[in-house]
Amino acid sequence: MSLERTDEFDRGDWIEEKDLSRVERGYLVTLMWLDKRFRLVDYLELLEDAYYKTNLQMPKSHTEQYNLDNKFWYWYPLYSLGSLSIIAYVILAISGALLGFYYSPSATTAAGQEATIAYNQMVFIMTDLNFGFMLRSIHRWAAQFMVAAVFLHMLRVYFTGAYKEPRELNWILGVVLILLTLLFGYSGYVLPWNQLAYWAAQIGLEMARSVPIIGEWAAQLLFGGFSPGAPTLMRMYILHVFVLPFVVTALIAIHVGIVWMQGIAEPH
Amino acid sequence: MTEHTAIDDGRTDAEDVADPGSDDPDVRTDGGEAIAPAGDDSPSFRERKERTDGLSRLTYEYFERSRREDQVLRDDSDYVERDVLGFPAWPHEMIRNLSITSFFVGVILFVSATMPPPLEAAANPTSTPAVILPDWYLYWSFGILKTEPLNLELAILGGEKIASDRTFAVLLHGPIIVMLFLVPFLNKGSARRPVEQPFWSAVGVFGVLLAFTMSLQAIVNLMAQRLPLLTADLILWLHLSIPFLGAVITYAVLKSMREGYMYDLNRRYYRLRPPR
Repeated sequence: MSLERTDEFDRGDWIEEKDLSRVERGYLVTLMWLDKRFRLVDYLELLEDAYYKTNLQMPKSHTEQYNLDNKFWYWYPLYSLGSLSIIAYVILAISGALLGFYYSPSATTAAGQEATIAYNQMVFIMTDLNFGFMLRSIHRWAAQFMVAAVFLHMLRVYFTGAYKEPRELNWILGVVLILLTLLFGYSGYVLPWNQLAYWAAQIGLEMARSVPIIGEWAAQLLFGGFSPGAPTLMRMYILHVFVLPFVVTALIAIHVGIVWMQGIAEPH
Repeated sequence: MTEHTAIDDGRTDAEDVADPGSDDPDVRTDGGEAIAPAGDDSPSFRERKERTDGLSRLTYEYFERSRREDQVLRDDSDYVERDVLGFPAWPHEMIRNLSITSFFVGVILFVSATMPPPLEAAANPTSTPAVILPDWYLYWSFGILKTEPLNLELAILGGEKIASDRTFAVLLHGPIIVMLFLVPFLNKGSARRPVEQPFWSAVGVFGVLLAFTMSLQAIVNLMAQRLPLLTADLILWLHLSIPFLGAVITYAVLKSMREGYMYDLNRRYYRLRPPR
C-alpha cells in the first residue's frame, strides 16, 4: 500500500482532457483546492438556490385563480398593515438607539439642579442636541403609528376571518404581541419623567397593587417599590430597552415565519 | 431451550411458569411478595424497549401514510399547476413593497416634523395634575378603571362588595383579554366575509365600539362637568349600550345583505346547474 494520495475522482485526467487555457486551468485548480478545504460547492449550491428563489414565479394565488383581483385590490392597504407595523418597529429601533446615546434613566437630582437627571437629559435632547427635537418626535410618532397599525391589523384579521382553522396559534401570538406593544408604549411613556409620566407610573403602580394575592409582588417586580421613584424609572428603562426589544423581536420573527409557512389567508 | 435448561438445573419451562422459584422456599432472593406480587403484569425491560421501538415505528408509519394520502389527494385534484403564473418577486412585488414602505416612512417623518411633542413640566410628586391621561391607546384601559357602578353590591353579603372598586376594575381587564385569546376557538367554520357571518361581525363591531366608548369613559369626570344633564352613571350606561346598539344594527344590515348575496350565489349556481 502506497502512502501517496490517490485521486479518487481522477480529476487530473479530467483537467487534461478539458484542454484549458492557462487562466482557466489556474482558476479550476484553485477552485478545487479551496473546495477540498472549505466545501465551496455547498455554498455555491446555496447561492444558486437563493437565486432561483428570488426569481421564483409564484403559483397562481387564490385571488388570481378565482379572479377576485378586481374586488381585492382596494382592500390591499388593509393587507399591508402587518408589514407597516414592522416598518414602524424598525424606525423605532433606529431612533430609539440614537436617543439612547443621550438619555440617562436616573430619577435622582444632580447637585444644583431643580429637575431629575432623566428629565434634564430629555430637555437636552429636545433643545440642545442637533436634530434631537426631530429625533424624539420621530420616535414618538412612529410609536403612535405602530400601535395604530397593530390595532387595525387585528381588526382586519378579525373581520376577514383570517384567524380560522390553521391559524389559531398565530392569532394567539398576535394578541400576545399587541399586549407587549402596549407595554412597550407604557414603559416608554414613563421614561421622560415629566408630570404625566410620573402620574402614569403612579396609576400603573396602583393597578398592579390592587390585583389580589400577587399584587404587591408584581408592583415590586415591575415598579421597584410602592411609590414611583428612581427604581421605577430604572425598571421601566430596562423593560423598554433590554427585555421587550428581544422578546418582541423574537415573537415578531415567529409570527411572520408562521405567516410565511402557512401563507396569507386571502378573502374568499 | 438448551441454554435455559442448563441454567435452571434441569427444570422444564412448564414447572418454571406454574411455580416460580418454589424449589427452596427458605432462600428467596427476589424480595418476596411485597415487592413483586405474583401475577404482576408490569413490563420487563425487553418489553419496555419494544414499546419505545413501537412508538418510533408508529411515527414512521404515520408519516409514510400521510405522505401517501397527500399524494392521493394530489392525484385526485383537478388543480393544474402551470409553469409561469402570478407575479415574480422581482421587480413587481419588490417595487410595490418599496413604494409602500417609503410612503409610510415619509408619512411618519412628515407628521413628526409638523407635530412635534410638547416640552412638558418636570415630574412633581407633590402636585397632582388636573387631567391625568395615558397615551391614547391605553384610554380603554383607563376607562375601565372608572366603571365602579358595575361593581354590584351583593345583598347576601349585607350590601357589601366582594372586591374593592379598584380591584374589580383591574380584574375586569382579565375577561376582555381572555375573550380575545378565545376567538378562534369559539368561531369555527370556513366563513370568511362579514356577510357570511353576521353574528361574529356584530361581535367584532361590539368590541370596536366598546373600545371607543371605554376610551370616552376615561374622561367621564370632564364630561360630567361640561354636560350638566348627564350624570356619571348615565354616561356609563350610555357607553355600555352604544356598542350593543351598534352590534344589533350591524347584525341586521349584514343579515339583509346576505339575502341578496346568497341570491346572487344561488342564481349563479342554478345557471350552471339548472334545477330538474
